[in-house]
Amino acid sequence: MLFAWMLVIVFLAFVACMFEDLESDIGSQSNPNSQIQLAPEMGYIHRYYNKAISGEGLSNALACTISGTIALLLLLMLEPMLVAKDMPLGYAAILAIPVGAMVGSIVHMVRCSTCHLGRESAHKRFEQPIFLDVWIGHLIPIATHNFLTVICITAIAYIQSHLTLLSGVSGASNPFPLPLLCLIWGITVGAIGSSTGDIHYGTERAFQDKPFGEGRRVVYHGQICRYGDCGIRTSKDVAAFCAKYGGPATGLTFGLIVLFENWRTVIGMVLGGLTKTELAHPGVAAGYGIGIGIGVAIVLIVLNTWLVKWARAKYGPFVGE
Amino acid sequence: MEPITLVIILVCIIIGGMFGSLGVHLLPVGGAPAAMSTATGIATGCVMLMTGSAMTGLFTASTVANFWGTNPDVFLVSLSGGVGAMLMMGFTMLIGNLIYIFGAGIVPVSGRVAVDPITKEPQTEYKTPRTDGHGVPNVAFYSGMIGGLVGGFGGALIYVVLVSQGYAGFSVETAVIVALGIFIANAIMAAYNIGGTIEGFHDPKFKERIVTGLTCAFIVSLMCGILVLIAIETGALAAGGMV
Amino acid sequence: MAEEETKGEEEKKPKEEFKLSFDYFNETRLGILALIVGVIITIAAYSPSLPALVKGIGVMLVILWGADSVRKTARYGLGTGVPSIGVLAVGFGLVGAMTGMAIGSAVYDMIGPAGILGILIGIGLMAVIGYVSGILANGDKFINMKIPGLERGMMELAVAGTLAIILECSIIGGTWDADTILRQPVLGTVPPVAFVALMFIMAGFGMLQPLNSCLGADERRGRTLLMAIEIGGINCIILGLITVMTLGAVQGASLIVLGAIVWVVFYRAYVKACLEESYEVVGTGMIKTLGG
Repeated sequence: MLFAWMLVIVFLAFVACMFEDLESDIGSQSNPNSQIQLAPEMGYIHRYYNKAISGEGLSNALACTISGTIALLLLLMLEPMLVAKDMPLGYAAILAIPVGAMVGSIVHMVRCSTCHLGRESAHKRFEQPIFLDVWIGHLIPIATHNFLTVICITAIAYIQSHLTLLSGVSGASNPFPLPLLCLIWGITVGAIGSSTGDIHYGTERAFQDKPFGEGRRVVYHGQICRYGDCGIRTSKDVAAFCAKYGGPATGLTFGLIVLFENWRTVIGMVLGGLTKTELAHPGVAAGYGIGIGIGVAIVLIVLNTWLVKWARAKYGPFVGE
Repeated sequence: MEPITLVIILVCIIIGGMFGSLGVHLLPVGGAPAAMSTATGIATGCVMLMTGSAMTGLFTASTVANFWGTNPDVFLVSLSGGVGAMLMMGFTMLIGNLIYIFGAGIVPVSGRVAVDPITKEPQTEYKTPRTDGHGVPNVAFYSGMIGGLVGGFGGALIYVVLVSQGYAGFSVETAVIVALGIFIANAIMAAYNIGGTIEGFHDPKFKERIVTGLTCAFIVSLMCGILVLIAIETGALAAGGMV
Repeated sequence: MAEEETKGEEEKKPKEEFKLSFDYFNETRLGILALIVGVIITIAAYSPSLPALVKGIGVMLVILWGADSVRKTARYGLGTGVPSIGVLAVGFGLVGAMTGMAIGSAVYDMIGPAGILGILIGIGLMAVIGYVSGILANGDKFINMKIPGLERGMMELAVAGTLAIILECSIIGGTWDADTILRQPVLGTVPPVAFVALMFIMAGFGMLQPLNSCLGADERRGRTLLMAIEIGGINCIILGLITVMTLGAVQGASLIVLGAIVWVVFYRAYVKACLEESYEVVGTGMIKTLGG
């Protein structure tokens, strides 16, 4: 059962990080947002949603932690009632997790609404108007994408903190409380979404009229692509593009990380003599976990070296000026 | 509590803090320009990246520390935390490279050196002119893996020495809070030291700034460690009254 | 007394909307006010009979001070972005709060009621650490960031972070006594320290978001700080929801109502200020093109 729950966690992780990246594309957050911020200062007025809450890690952590707290409150309120009536505890989780995620997403939506206004009104001298349809029209897509991220992360945290109950193996739960687990995964998912998915948005989609196959030179900064397929582009058009590559790649990153983390820990535990009641040799278990981890790291290093060599051979030196 | 235990706790906190700072110096942080393929490194800010990898390391460390129950093996748990953070950095950099290569069509090269010091690949003729490099080249990848290992080790070390009943004996939540606070303080001072972006150990900035960075980390960790020792001595947080 | 003073200030603000004449409270005076009121409320927060409402006002004031301090320091360009110094403040705050609560509780156990002043030792030590970090960050022989007032800024942020976390802990647990916060199961089997992740991220957000979201050429201090109080309002609502379950309906509901009123008033004031001070507000429209 332990491995089955690990697989569920990995799937949830994949979905969570994919939607985190798409949400940060709809409300242009974090690194590529520096271009959206720069554009009016260079005279390029735009109709993007300038969402600059803070780093992606922290804003995601806020939504997830609030969701985790509300979920914990509801669980603590409902579980004694279920135990008294002798019903399975799953009924509490299925109510607590979505309600918590809803509250978290609403708070996130409120934070988003304030920052677009703040940044655009600070652009008064550059003559950037505030478009009310941009401001209001993006709030619901942001909230819905964020809801999916938050509900998946809250579910992951719930499973990890209740693993003893769910799988029947004692000592498998993580000792951290639910809100703290949500904070940890919220920051990690935000950091990963910021490192991988933002490249697809920042390099490809924001500068789509610049040539493919080269880095964006410093002189191009601020000259973002403001026109869309039909008329003027808004941030909603960005998500449809990035969902083809950037979003799923980001989801894959987090899914693989969670997969290998949990898998090597559990393999270590099994090799260290795991039974339903206790772990016979903790040192051996930890040692095997570390060994498998180092093995995976070596595979990654080899993969990257080969990948970079392949790219250099295939693409060749820079052509042009 | 015996003086020798207190000294061990202080030394572990200082080593953990300094390793955290060293880890930040080794990570290839590109900042906002890297997301536009104008600079080499991972396309995010320093603060986000190091908190993210430290949190993953802390999570793995807590799971492994739970194997023992009360007296975890300090070295094995810290190493598990380090390996966890290292794997996170590895996957992030690898898939980041996939997006650079296939999504934007560029070759990962470094902007600060003309030849890769480890694999001896020439860099300049593959670089787009008027940029400062793009992608995560091999040397930055190796630097990032080592940085993840070292940073995760430091954070997990502070956590395990605080949670272990043989040393400070805090409860799990208290140990996590204090470890997080000390790690964040060190890592942000290191981020200020490198000025926001760095390519890794081959970057000339690394040699210039590493000594200053480690000195500041030593002083900050020492002060925070003394504060934690005072808190332990009051007995209000320690194992005696613990649930 | 502190309640009336700050409520009076709140009353003034909505009437004058975005023309806040709040200018009397320049950075130094706001800092001194927040420090004195914050410390008084923190010391009084040891007793469970202090209503959560007063502690909530204390939290909002301390977060306002933190946001002002971040604004003062980060305007000159930190190199890594505004969120870094906000997270540093709460990071320091976590260590300082744990130490302060431990020292305060231990001294109280030793010498009785006067001993709760022991928490000032923790806050004072954290202020020293903040100041030394500022010297490390700004000093010629160290990091040398050359930001005017960084030492004072980091000291203020360390103190603000510590006070914020201590006050939030005492809202949930009723008192900041270390035994209650760390060990007493106020909610099922869960001690108040389980919610420390929430306290960390909300206090951090209150300090780092205002400047980060209002950054730009025409940023104005009054408008930026409206957002800090608005985040304080949301903070009080969420903490109120937890307090309903730990301390009872009266304390919790009053905190939720305070948070809701503060949020509605200041959110409206902020949106009005932004819309009126921007270049142009249009329902929809085309964009200005550059030379065709």
